[in-house]
Amino acid sequence: MFEELKSLYMEKATLVGCEVVALQDLKEAAKYIKEKTEGPLLVPDSTLCTRFGLKSLLQDTGVTLHEGSFREAGHLPAGGVTFSNFAIGESGTIVLDSTPEEVRLATTIPEKYFVIVDPVTIVADGLGAVEAMTALHSGHEPRYVAYISGPSRTADIERVLTIGAHGPREVHVLLIEGISSDFMEN
Amino acid sequence: MNDMSFKENVEKALANTRLSETLHTFGDGYLVAREKAFAGLDFQAMREELGAIKDDVRVNRKALLAEFIKNAEAAGSTVFIAKDTKEANDYVASLARKKGAKTIAKSKSMVSEEAHFNRAMAAAGIESVETDLGEWILQLAGQRPSHLVMPAIHLVKEEVSALFSKDAGKTLAPEIKPLVEYSRKRLRDEYFRADIGLTGANFLVANTGGIGLVTNEGNARLCSTLPKVHVVFAGIHKLVRNMEDAIKITRLLPRNATAQLLTSYITWIRGAVPCDGGTKEQHIVLIDGGRSTLYESEACRDALRCIQCGACANVCPVYQTVGGHVFGSVYISAIGVILTAFYEGLEKAEPLVRACIGCRSCSAVCPVNIDLEEIILKLRHEVTEKYGMGTVKNVAFRAVMKNRNLFHTMIKAASRLQGPVTQKGSSPSERRVIRHLPMHFMEKDITGWRDLPAIAPRSFRDLFKTLEQKVKNPICTVGFFVGCGGDFVYPEVGVKMVKVLNRLGVKVVFPQGQNCCGIPALYSGDTETGKDLARQSVKAFCDVDVDYILSICPTCTMGVRRDFAERLKDEPEWAEKAKVIGAKVLDASAFLENVLHASEKLKAMNLQGSEAVTYHDSCHLKRGSGVFAEPRALLESAGYTVKEMANSDRCCGFGGTYSFLTHPQISKQITADKVENIRNTAVKTVAVDCPGCMMMIGGALGKQDETIRCVHTMELLADSFGV
Ligand code: SF4
Ligand code: SF4
Repeated sequence: MFEELKSLYMEKATLVGCEVVALQDLKEAAKYIKEKTEGPLLVPDSTLCTRFGLKSLLQDTGVTLHEGSFREAGHLPAGGVTFSNFAIGESGTIVLDSTPEEVRLATTIPEKYFVIVDPVTIVADGLGAVEAMTALHSGHEPRYVAYISGPSRTADIERVLTIGAHGPREVHVLLIEGISSDFMEN
Repeated sequence: MNDMSFKENVEKALANTRLSETLHTFGDGYLVAREKAFAGLDFQAMREELGAIKDDVRVNRKALLAEFIKNAEAAGSTVFIAKDTKEANDYVASLARKKGAKTIAKSKSMVSEEAHFNRAMAAAGIESVETDLGEWILQLAGQRPSHLVMPAIHLVKEEVSALFSKDAGKTLAPEIKPLVEYSRKRLRDEYFRADIGLTGANFLVANTGGIGLVTNEGNARLCSTLPKVHVVFAGIHKLVRNMEDAIKITRLLPRNATAQLLTSYITWIRGAVPCDGGTKEQHIVLIDGGRSTLYESEACRDALRCIQCGACANVCPVYQTVGGHVFGSVYISAIGVILTAFYEGLEKAEPLVRACIGCRSCSAVCPVNIDLEEIILKLRHEVTEKYGMGTVKNVAFRAVMKNRNLFHTMIKAASRLQGPVTQKGSSPSERRVIRHLPMHFMEKDITGWRDLPAIAPRSFRDLFKTLEQKVKNPICTVGFFVGCGGDFVYPEVGVKMVKVLNRLGVKVVFPQGQNCCGIPALYSGDTETGKDLARQSVKAFCDVDVDYILSICPTCTMGVRRDFAERLKDEPEWAEKAKVIGAKVLDASAFLENVLHASEKLKAMNLQGSEAVTYHDSCHLKRGSGVFAEPRALLESAGYTVKEMANSDRCCGFGGTYSFLTHPQISKQITADKVENIRNTAVKTVAVDCPGCMMMIGGALGKQDETIRCVHTMELLADSFGV
């Protein structure tokens, strides 16, 4: 089941235009990111970011991280990196609780977006997300949850599919096991 | 828009062949891609479920709205209910004043189109910038959307580059990628600069108090993130009960809209989220704007199930022919016809209502199971009651159709009068055609592009009296509802059907008291005539004892099966009888195949039909009765090879009285496409199961390619029998 979901996700995410790679660990992830961009990167704080020391792993590779408010990072910063809450196989989607503004900025304004997904969090289809989505919305706290399925796209001129309308023009999904199986954290 | 200016717009649109070509290519590609997106899923079951969800929301809308508001406010949103779009605009204008806001970065919202939001803001001294690429192009061009999902589908890259060049103050090449790139950089400044971000909402989730946005470009995410104030503009019909409902919609909406499994982004926002070190101010403006009234209309309220996928335009032959600026207003195509009537008034909607040709493609594709064509038909009645049918149709339907004898006499007269203008051809496709003046009540300037069918010298009802049916020990006896086309234009089809049935051991009775099914009258909005005609035929068939009533015209089948009882529902005694009759009617092909299992019998006979034929699916046969495999099976087993044409189930342009009386120009274009598809098969015979399609396709072929003939399946079967 796990392997099936993983390969379903990989297939579908590729179909919607993501670069999908399965990596050993976060160190490899940091290396991968450095190969794709020099930075500056927007890396928002989060539970998993702190737990795994993602920022220093990235810095160890020599890539630059943006310091200070992400609003000051320019209108088109180079990249953004986040973890994810879970993923949906059928549509190649990652689901990310983006309530903190830094998370939203890191996933909307950069040219490239890198997202780390633990394959144990892949559910089969949209309906498989209902429970987690409902749980994310329990209580009355403000909430901003994003489904992201590939890069930003448009077909508004002559119906020609064109990548990079207003959001990131590249989405890299880095599949790494053993990160977290908890759908409520990222 | 009055009828005259509508006509002019139609003509202008028809002159723009590029537009129609674009929309056709798009429509073709859409159907293929959509099928793939739904692979392995049960579309019918899914759309029934969504329809039921939306109906439950309608029933409980007051409680759900209250629940939504309570939850949204608990999460820090401010909710305002606007009774109309003006109140909604005013709310935003005064909010802007209070905040000292000068600019709004706006993502796509159809209800803001309804509100003419940008214009209202400009009047209040606020600059509102569209950030959806298509909408921004239109804003620069000063135009309105011509499609719900692809608003600028009517423009080409050269036009876009001209607009962008003007914005940039320098010349930009007409190349799509760089143009998209330009808008990316250019609009990025707007999000950072804007004081307010405005988005629409695809869902208002009652039990969370959150909204959902389904998008591809990412501009809604920027609009709802960067500015300090977020305004949500949403129609009250966007309510759903819970997350599960919303997610179920997301499973159908992108698939049906753009054949995507999911859009690039679905964004779920609840309450006042963090913003620039503080908290965002979020205002949700819930707009009624006529929706409550529409909910109260039993006949039309299903329209509020709409999730704005745009599919009813993608498949509509009228839309494909004239585009959304003509066939639509704020909303486009089938759903646009209905919403225009409610939001902008019946008068505005009148020409749109009349322009629908009733092919039912929209109803077949709608992901929330709205029977759009049915609703448009009801609106047509209203339009007729209010504005009349126009003199031409008044003569045709009210005065003539209602009186059976007058109708038949008049047709006989027409048949006699037309003698001098009828061409007698040697091949069946060249059979009787009128070059001019078909009947007194048709417009006379429309024979230029298509031969009109002539009235046969002897009607079927006359011929039947002389038909000898030699059937020893019949296995059953069936009634025959001939319909006008079969009676007066193509009587030989009925004759051949009788012969085929006789050969298979079936006897046919023909009650002479039957009349027109009444659908043409209804389509013109003449309900009274429709009722009268229904009573006449119901009475005729009550007098004979048969288990099945066969029809060679799928429009008649629908008329008898579905509409008679509905039309007569206020007269219980008649309605009861009509139900009994309605339950017995079916198309001749369906009877042969599904009741008699004729294809097995035909195979056993080892018939030599020998030629290749192509098959056109008539709209009402395929989408009205679900019959399409049957005629093919019959033809194959009678020895014919069926070579499929592209889009065999796309409307031929007939649309009942439509093509003759109301919109001959639109119809012409639709038919031309059909002829093209037929020609591409290189086959010389087109089979259909509908006299209407025969008139349309046969007529067009008569003018354009006389080597191809158009015949009824019954005729081909009879031929292979040699009867
Ligand atoms: S019934 Fe056919 S012509 Fe009428 S709106 Fe629907 S798709 Fe268009
Ligand atoms: S009416 Fe149905 S098909 Fe048309 S846009 Fe709405 S949901 Fe889509």
